[in-house]
Amino acid sequence: MSLAIPNGLDNTVERPGERAPLVLGETDYHEITETVCQVAERKPSTSWVIGFLVSFALLQWLGICILYLIYTGVGVWGNRSPIFWGWPIVNFVFWVGIGHAGTLISAILFLFRQEWRTSINRAAEAMTIFAVACAGTFPGIHVGRAWLAFWLAPYPSLNLWMWPQFRSPLLWDVFAVSTYGTVSLLFWYMGMVPDLATFRDRSKNKWRRMAYGILSLGWSGSSRHWMRYEKAYALLAALAAPLVLSVNTIVSFDFAVSQVPGWHTTIFPPYFVAGAIFSGFAMVLTLMIPSRKMLGLEKLITIRHLDNMCKIILATGSMVGLAYGTEFFIAWYGQVQEEKFAFINRAFGPYWWAYWTMVTCNVISPQLFWVKKFRTTPWIIFIITIFVNIGMWFERFVIVVTSLSRDYVPSAWAYFSPTWVDWSMLIGSFGLFMTLFLLFCRLMPVINMAETKSTLAKQIHLEEHGYGNH
Amino acid sequence: MSENNEKKVHGIVAEYTSVDSLLNACRRVRDAGYKKTDAFAPFAVHGIEKALGIKPTVLPWIVFGCGAVGAIVGLTMQIWMNSIDYPYIISGKPMISLPAFIPVAYELTILFAAFGAFFGMWALNGLPRFSNPIFTDPRFDRVTDDRFFLYIDAKDEQFDEAGVRQLFGDTGTEYIQTVVDDDSSSKVPKGFFIAWAAVIGLSVIPVLVVLKMRLTKSSLPRFHVFFDMDFSPAKDAQQTTTLFADGRAMRPDVAGTVARGDMLIDMDYMTGIDMEALTQVDARRAERLVRSFADPSPQQEGEQPPVADTEETSAPAEKTAEETGVQEEATGETESAAPAAAPSVMDTTPWLTQNPLPLNKQLLERGQTYFGIYCSVCHGLNGGGNGLVNRRAQKILATNWIPPSKLNQPTLAQDVYPDGKLFNTISNGIRKMPGYAAQITTRDRWAIVAYVRALQQSQNASINEVPAAEREAILKQQAEVKKQLEEQAAAEAAQANAEPGDN
Repeated sequence: MSLAIPNGLDNTVERPGERAPLVLGETDYHEITETVCQVAERKPSTSWVIGFLVSFALLQWLGICILYLIYTGVGVWGNRSPIFWGWPIVNFVFWVGIGHAGTLISAILFLFRQEWRTSINRAAEAMTIFAVACAGTFPGIHVGRAWLAFWLAPYPSLNLWMWPQFRSPLLWDVFAVSTYGTVSLLFWYMGMVPDLATFRDRSKNKWRRMAYGILSLGWSGSSRHWMRYEKAYALLAALAAPLVLSVNTIVSFDFAVSQVPGWHTTIFPPYFVAGAIFSGFAMVLTLMIPSRKMLGLEKLITIRHLDNMCKIILATGSMVGLAYGTEFFIAWYGQVQEEKFAFINRAFGPYWWAYWTMVTCNVISPQLFWVKKFRTTPWIIFIITIFVNIGMWFERFVIVVTSLSRDYVPSAWAYFSPTWVDWSMLIGSFGLFMTLFLLFCRLMPVINMAETKSTLAKQIHLEEHGYGNH
Repeated sequence: MSENNEKKVHGIVAEYTSVDSLLNACRRVRDAGYKKTDAFAPFAVHGIEKALGIKPTVLPWIVFGCGAVGAIVGLTMQIWMNSIDYPYIISGKPMISLPAFIPVAYELTILFAAFGAFFGMWALNGLPRFSNPIFTDPRFDRVTDDRFFLYIDAKDEQFDEAGVRQLFGDTGTEYIQTVVDDDSSSKVPKGFFIAWAAVIGLSVIPVLVVLKMRLTKSSLPRFHVFFDMDFSPAKDAQQTTTLFADGRAMRPDVAGTVARGDMLIDMDYMTGIDMEALTQVDARRAERLVRSFADPSPQQEGEQPPVADTEETSAPAEKTAEETGVQEEATGETESAAPAAAPSVMDTTPWLTQNPLPLNKQLLERGQTYFGIYCSVCHGLNGGGNGLVNRRAQKILATNWIPPSKLNQPTLAQDVYPDGKLFNTISNGIRKMPGYAAQITTRDRWAIVAYVRALQQSQNASINEVPAAEREAILKQQAEVKKQLEEQAAAEAAQANAEPGDN
């Protein structure tokens, strides 16, 4: 255990009457600046270069596949009647779910004054934006004629003389995901401005200084600015919190508002939101465990942070498990034959392997986090979160494909098989995600320095003036 | 200091190394009565507003206002677009279906409020501001790292350089500096403007191209970026394909396909008319009949058929209805109403006298089935003319009802009403009866004809026509039925007598 924590201090132990330190080591403000800035200022490591080249190659492959798709038509996917949604929508819902942890950590944990969020929120927010970028790609190309995707926007068209249909959940989705992407981007960027100013002030290179100077908008650290900034941050957090909950609710409406057995259930909104947080946190941990090691951030992203995130995974994983059970119960209790069939078919039909993969990864594997040893050992967390990621992808596969492949009319049933394009696009979307994330690690402050310093200031204040007086 | 004297002095700044020392200095500066002061820190220092006397911001009201605008814009946009400008009903929802409009309005509320918070904050802070005199001191770079600065502006009423330096000196700072104007060149490099103009110019070109294409007319074919469905990938007749095993793009006809005009039609069988005889009597009519079966499309020739060709129908048999002239009421019970002078076309037509199909049990059973389905509702199962529809019509005293014929009446007997004529009646209808050519196949219509003949015979038969072997059983059965009927009649009579007494 002591190996995992550089200075040997275990901050996962609760001491009565004390707050566990969130910044470890004999640190000061300058050391925080140094620790975070060295990530971007030093020469890229070999592992970063290799990772970037692989991700970038996958991104190119995704681009080629999209061109091939647009040139040839959607027939290159495995989407066949009656499974018209197929993998593109599975991937969309998967990535939107991943995109939930960032804003949740930034907004909801901020509103609940969970200070441990400060050292992880930046990377998690970045992940949110990159995941939303991946998510937005899929419906954009799934519309068939991707070059007309702008028809989704309510603009006064000279060709159509008509407007989008606002009573459709698919259009709600457009507004929800684009609003979410925009607000997350504003939130992320606004949070970064003081740290970009740090980058600006440390730059030796003229061009670098100019670029960061423009990005940081002339931030001077004035206390008046800080006051309005803090207020704006709190307001954005208060706005983003209901937004996080609304996005996957609306994504779930895509399914729940339809009449398809297995989709038409009222449990979908809470179930999707819990699943999204679950998968988002899993992805945050999957990325953070290797990167904190590689980027040398163990003093700021401590074992206590990992421990806390594992607890959230345990809680949301259990909620997801409960939702699976509730769905089955309602299918039986509702006594609608199609609904009953849909669920029996999910678990014991031709896609039984997908269903039980999902249950194993999502319900059983997070239960290991009841054991503290597992919550505080990075490599174990890493493995479990990989399982959770796989499980959550399969959850969306199970929902989309099993319900569509066998609905009301048995003569229309079919079995879905993905093509190489489906596979390429799933893997390629990881290329897009990782490319953006790795660029972010090199170019942007990966940890919110200002907030971490503020946490440290409180820690110093408590040490100097004693606990309990504050 | 001498070179600084020529530049404009903006204020004086002092550096601190900890939050506590900064806060102490702030309080002292505030208590000394300075108003135009500011502190600079690498993070939001809590308590500094109080220490410096900074008023709260109006930002929350801006955000609230933006959110309200977002909600109103969201709702009015949807109502106007989906209910007023282009109204359409989806799944029976009302025109202004508020529940369905809530998600988008909700998202827009948050979006606008977030814009308000983001842009409002920068606007209130006066950012972006890239040139700031306070940045002239390289030491100030550490404000975003680990140092805290306190600043008193020269515009403050109490400002006096020596006095401020004195005050700062007492607060335990190690560094005091006068903030002077930024003397670096404020000229933006020319290359920047050139690049900017180039970007703007280049980005306008596609817009102009599109505008030109939209606003001008051209005789050239449309330029297709994407083909959409404008060009069909269909193959031509003689091309090859990999889709089918035989490699031919043009598919052979389905077995049994008959090309238009190539069908060999047995006209006698189709119309119930002896065509050879008709040709001798009325060649033109026979020719029209044949043509109407061979080519059901409207006739282009100048010659007009005797019956007005107003109703265009696709079914050949219905066409015949007009050709043969069933509209003229000529047969059945209304015979007396027929014009006496000119004989009806129904009487002059040389009908087939014999059913062209060979009579057998199978045919009769087929006829019985179809008679039961289509005819019995009016004519009754025994052909007595008292089917369910007729009974209902009698019950409600329908004034325009013409009772269906009793099929066993003498006027419909085979010798006066030939099989062909009966077939024609079934096909094209008569009086209230519609034609059934569209519903019943030709063969089945002939089967019905055969069955009707059998019915007629059965209704007018005597016991002597029954084979000797079955005669006895029938007689026995008849006696039983008769007895039952008598008993029933007696019981009904008794009840009828009793009823008035009860009342």
